[in-house]
Amino acid sequence: MTVPAACATDTGSRSGAVLRAAAPGARRARRREVLAAYGLLAPASLLVLGLLAYPVLWEGWISTTSLSAQGGAPTFVGLANYRRMAADPFFWRATLTTIVYFAATTGAKLVLGLAMALLLARPARGRALVFLAVFLPWAYPGGVTVVAWYWMLNPPLITSYSLAVGQLKHAVDAVLGPGAYAFASVALFNVWRGASFTAIFLLAALNAIPTELFEYAQLETRSPWLRLRHVTLPLLKPFLALAVFLSFTSAFADLANVWMLTGGRIVFPVLGTYAYWLGVRRGELAQAAAWSLALVPVLLAALLVLFRWFDPPEERQA
Amino acid sequence: MAQVLMKDLNKKYDEVHAVKDLNLHVRDKEFVVLVGPSGCGKSTTLRMIAGLEEITSGEIVIGDRVVNDLPPKDRDIAMVFQNYALYPHMTVYDNMAFGLRMRKYPKAEIDRRVREAAEILGIQDLLHRKPRQLSGGQRQRVAVGRAIVRHPQVFLFDEPLSNLDAKLRVQMRVELKRLHERLETTAIYVTHDQVEAMTLGDRVVVMRDGWVQQVGEPLELYARPANRFVAGFIGSPAMNFADVTVLEQGGALWIEHPGFRLRVPPDRAARLQPYRGQRVTFGIRPEDLRVATGADPQEYTFEAVVEVVEPLGPEMLLDVRVGPATLPLTMVVRVDPSVRVRVHEAVRLAVDPERMHFFDLRTEAAL
Repeated sequence: MTVPAACATDTGSRSGAVLRAAAPGARRARRREVLAAYGLLAPASLLVLGLLAYPVLWEGWISTTSLSAQGGAPTFVGLANYRRMAADPFFWRATLTTIVYFAATTGAKLVLGLAMALLLARPARGRALVFLAVFLPWAYPGGVTVVAWYWMLNPPLITSYSLAVGQLKHAVDAVLGPGAYAFASVALFNVWRGASFTAIFLLAALNAIPTELFEYAQLETRSPWLRLRHVTLPLLKPFLALAVFLSFTSAFADLANVWMLTGGRIVFPVLGTYAYWLGVRRGELAQAAAWSLALVPVLLAALLVLFRWFDPPEERQA
Repeated sequence: MAQVLMKDLNKKYDEVHAVKDLNLHVRDKEFVVLVGPSGCGKSTTLRMIAGLEEITSGEIVIGDRVVNDLPPKDRDIAMVFQNYALYPHMTVYDNMAFGLRMRKYPKAEIDRRVREAAEILGIQDLLHRKPRQLSGGQRQRVAVGRAIVRHPQVFLFDEPLSNLDAKLRVQMRVELKRLHERLETTAIYVTHDQVEAMTLGDRVVVMRDGWVQQVGEPLELYARPANRFVAGFIGSPAMNFADVTVLEQGGALWIEHPGFRLRVPPDRAARLQPYRGQRVTFGIRPEDLRVATGADPQEYTFEAVVEVVEPLGPEMLLDVRVGPATLPLTMVVRVDPSVRVRVHEAVRLAVDPERMHFFDLRTEAAL
């Protein structure tokens, strides 16, 4: 162990000597290179700082003030907004709803997406058409499809199926509590759109895995279930983790769809819509900031775990 | 333990007829190599035996069972893939145990077999590593080990050495041969490398465009190729070919080319008699040519000009031009490194009359 270390320092000092000897011309060239590198990094850094870091930090800051649209100079209030939030039973309901919403839609998207991807992965006649059909929900502009879903689930006019849908809504709400139908519609839309994306995404992943890995499993067992469990799922693990990762975004940040699908009425609260309602409708900006930051620590922890899954640390080389 | 029989085997894809009327009997414990350029149908044949490709028509028998409709796992074969197909999420041990676990072998038996195979291949110390922590050669061993633990009736190898560097390939080639001698299991091996085919195979099957060209022991293919394709494919550097005209003169047959005129050996004359006045392809291997001495009979020598000299150590290759510069024919000559020749020098070459090959110009069949 000591010998290589000695060698390393030896070569290190020698290359240092070479560097010194080559100065100052080489040093100037090197400085130019470093400056150029920072120059090239600048636009991206500005974008990240301006559009991501700054708003988040600003939001963090105002969540500790009394900033409000009702005027008055904001004053520093410490964690008062968070304390108020934690004392609000509505917050806990919203948190639970959000988590259930995330878990249910993510689970459904993974199962449906994986099933579609596996079906599409095998060569078949008319596969291109099916592929297109699967891709459409995701490719179509969300604003348009949301309206279509809204009209389908909450017919605005007297149509042949209005009565049936109305009865369904009452039945669902009667069994599962008020707001359940709205929750189901939002979840359904999320799954419809997200499963499409997940399917395309996992199909690309399946195509990137060498076919021999699946063929070898075929040589060893006939059971598709065993092959799925021991081969396909483990091989897809990084991609599934990434799909969950992306699903976080749609569950926690996708305000637009929830808002549009429920016609802007807070019939059931998720954190995002309620924060929007607090901030934009009621002008309680500081309180809204606290709400929207509430789950950040939890999300960060979850993302860290997922990140290790889809980008595992390099294992020690032989 | 098991023979493999292929009867009138065909594989057709939508537009490609990949394997055409293949008939082959791989005997018990035999090591048979399928060799040919890419797209010749060798891999498709292997995959049909494995059950990874459906059989369009014909029959495959393993042991004494027709396996056409048997799923891969019931065919009692084990396959080694070119890219090893090791599972990255499993350790070496789990990779090797995979097949046995899927077949619900008892734990103790799995452990015994995995350790036994690991010992044979010298990978006992790697059992708890993941494939990505292994070198190419080690991965190759694991892939072979995964096949060994199954104690199959037939081993199928699909270009298993192609991803290794040249030196390792030679080493693994020897190891595979030793392994086959030890395990005494029928093996079918696919490669595009004729050296691999010659060194490993008890018998070699040369394929081209879906057709079997010739089946035979390595030296038989080398000495008596059935057609021009096999003659050119087996042997390195490849056989030299020249289109020549058959002539009768002074009661003997001769072949004539702008660059040379050689006598047809008397024992071959009968086969070439019908081609009098017509053209045939003449073939001679680089090692069957040498720099002539005064003792060589005139009718088996000709003039050539040395263009390139490749000293390889144990031997030397000469690229020579035969015939007029307007109609150049290049030949390769394999000579002893002690031969002193210079580039642009004219040399007289002698052919070994016993080793002259003739092929029909149209059918390419050996005459």
